[in-house]
Amino acid sequence: MNIRAQVSMVFHLDKCIGCHTCSIACKNIWTDRKGTEYMWWNNVETKPGTGYPTRWEDQKKYKGGFEKKNGKLSLKLQGRTGALGNIFYNPNLPSMDDYYEPWTYDYGHLFDAPEGDDQPTARAISLVTGKVMDTIESGPNWDDDLGGSPVYAENDINLDELSEEEREQLSEVERMTFFYLPRICNHCANPGCVAACPAGALYKRGEDGIVLLSQEKCRAWRMCISGCPYKKTYFNWSTGKSEKCILCYPRIESGQPPACFHSCVGRIRYLGVLLYDADQIEKAASAEDADLVEAQRAMIQDPFDPAVIAAAKANGIPDNMITSAQKSPVYKFVKEWKIALPLHAEFRTLPMLFYVPPMMPVLAKSKDGIYEVDQSGSDGLAPLLSALDKARVPIKFMARLFSAGNTAIIEEVYRKLITVRIHRRSAEVKDVSQAELEKAYVSGKTNPEEADAIFRLTALPTYEERFVVPDMSRELAVEATVLPLANKQETGFGFRKKPERRF
Amino acid sequence: MRTIKRSAVNNGQALEKAHLREHKKRAPAAGVKTSLLFWTMWLILPGIMILALAAFPSRAGAQDISEGEQLFTSKGCTACHTIGGGDLVGPDLAGVTTRTEKDWLSRWLKEPDKMLAEGDATATELFEKYNKVPMPNLGLTDSEVASLIAYFESLDSGGTTAPTSSAVTLPAGDADRGKAFFMGTTRFSKGGPACMACHSVAGIGALGGGNLGPDLTTSGYIVSETAFATFISAPITQTMSAVWKGTPLTEQEQADLYAFLSKASVAQREPSALTQIAMLSGGTAIVLIAFAQIWWRKRLAGVRRPMVERAHAKRGH
Repeated sequence: MNIRAQVSMVFHLDKCIGCHTCSIACKNIWTDRKGTEYMWWNNVETKPGTGYPTRWEDQKKYKGGFEKKNGKLSLKLQGRTGALGNIFYNPNLPSMDDYYEPWTYDYGHLFDAPEGDDQPTARAISLVTGKVMDTIESGPNWDDDLGGSPVYAENDINLDELSEEEREQLSEVERMTFFYLPRICNHCANPGCVAACPAGALYKRGEDGIVLLSQEKCRAWRMCISGCPYKKTYFNWSTGKSEKCILCYPRIESGQPPACFHSCVGRIRYLGVLLYDADQIEKAASAEDADLVEAQRAMIQDPFDPAVIAAAKANGIPDNMITSAQKSPVYKFVKEWKIALPLHAEFRTLPMLFYVPPMMPVLAKSKDGIYEVDQSGSDGLAPLLSALDKARVPIKFMARLFSAGNTAIIEEVYRKLITVRIHRRSAEVKDVSQAELEKAYVSGKTNPEEADAIFRLTALPTYEERFVVPDMSRELAVEATVLPLANKQETGFGFRKKPERRF
Repeated sequence: MRTIKRSAVNNGQALEKAHLREHKKRAPAAGVKTSLLFWTMWLILPGIMILALAAFPSRAGAQDISEGEQLFTSKGCTACHTIGGGDLVGPDLAGVTTRTEKDWLSRWLKEPDKMLAEGDATATELFEKYNKVPMPNLGLTDSEVASLIAYFESLDSGGTTAPTSSAVTLPAGDADRGKAFFMGTTRFSKGGPACMACHSVAGIGALGGGNLGPDLTTSGYIVSETAFATFISAPITQTMSAVWKGTPLTEQEQADLYAFLSKASVAQREPSALTQIAMLSGGTAIVLIAFAQIWWRKRLAGVRRPMVERAHAKRGH
């Protein structure tokens, strides 16, 4: 057993209101520099939708993540020979149009415009070329709230396996629906970006598993951008180096949750340490598609198990990290309750950011001017929740997103979430019979205590319960290599030594 | 946040500047020492030289002549010159002291490269006459030059007899074998490198050979069998002597090479060869560019724009 600690995350999609506050918090801190205008280390997508960059999930085009070749795990992008052949000419990159051309407005013109017959306007100016942009064709959340859009929603690659009828229903006027999917770097246990980098600039930090990109080692080959199936590394055209989400490690090191977590209005984000067995990484990443989620769960170890604790200590994981793992909300969601799932496990990078899938609104139709709710709802809760096989967004779609196509796992998660609702309804409204309640516990594979715990951590968690930031003891750690006082002056995002660049 | 970052950077810069200032402070001290030493040397050295000249007046003694005789072989003059044996790569040196001024000759022996560069009339004339093979700078000292001139003078006045030098006769050479040696398809028996590594010559294909050494197509080293054999068996130029000292050529190899090189010696490289090179490199470039365009053709094909256009076309917009 090779135990390592990982600062992991859970996003509870039921609570996301799609306000983009997380994106703005991140932007203001990290990506308001020249060359980073187009980057959104945190972005919120509307699903079904094509996301940012456009159709990032389409690995036929972008070649991100890993695949199983002859039973062995290999990088989908290329091997050593391919890396050498494509090194000056990486063909698997999103173009600027697939992200979007960043722009600002000529606000000055509103003040200095000469007197005329019309109101002056502020025209869009490209932040890359500095020229006036006549039409703005896309943006980082261009398809925001466009659930039924014939352009964006329809081209969501996760709809591929749906039948023609199911797809049509999704864009029917009164059936169409959508939900939000906030995304940051997953800080994977088997990161594709790290594997793809020819310069060895990317690394997974030993103490907390945060994946970082060395600004000194980066040689701008941009293989990480292709290698990451989530398209969460970005190329800074001004410095000529790639950059990515750093999970606000300077904040984590000072005991605060990352900015996007802290600012989240819906309080959907949870952060905590997971202990996992690194010996199982290869096995977990090369499992059959349907078993990927279960294999990843098996990789995560019980922080209360004495054997695990001993192995963690043998690996030099400090006591405070282990205590932190015991209090971790992520461990509860992912391993104890099994209701948080990794995004696109089939990319085989073992993402360490997990999502609680969202409940969907009930089915209803307007008929002859009357709003009719579908009465065949889920057991015991009709008509407040629809039955799983009649979910507004098909289970198959959710399974493509969160369980590598295994619908059984998704259904299990939903049954548990529905049981929690029934449990709470029986407590609050008291209109659920005892027999129905018992039946619900059986179908949800849960019990009253667990249902209460899920409810508490979902609806009433305190700041300390949501964010269990481990004590990183950075002062002690840096003393080994640099003077803490000098280091204090040098922290911050940027270069200690200015690199020589063309621009 | 911003200001904190800035001040951190400023602090770093301030530290660096302080370091630089310290360096600058130290630098003048070292400078003073050097210049002191320098000026003392300037004062003392000429003094010593004047004293030395006064004590030992220059005189062409018997010792100088024998030293000169020795130098003539040990410095490798024989690689290119004979005395009374006719021209080889360079001119026959019989009567050299009567033909030239003594001052000119001593400077020529000391720094021929400089004189050629300055465009000295006699030097240029010699350079042209002997197939543009320059007289190499042998790094002789003033006394060595004096000894050599004393030796030449005694030869010309009949005081010393010239070493006998006879025409070298190589065995019959085979041009095809010579070409194989030149191109390295056959190795030299002592393991020397193939000529092609440094030299080019007409008649070995459009791309020729290396260009570290001179092109041998019209080389003055191949004027006669004797000249070639004498030079190649103990080459005098710096690079050649370093390369061939431990791995000399056998007589048969010399003969084969001479057969090839003298046959290859045409007036100049045929213009068709130049066209061939241009065609070859241009053609390769075009093929590579075309290959890159086909192989990486999807590189700049976007995803969003075609997707939007497809969607619009489907709905007939």
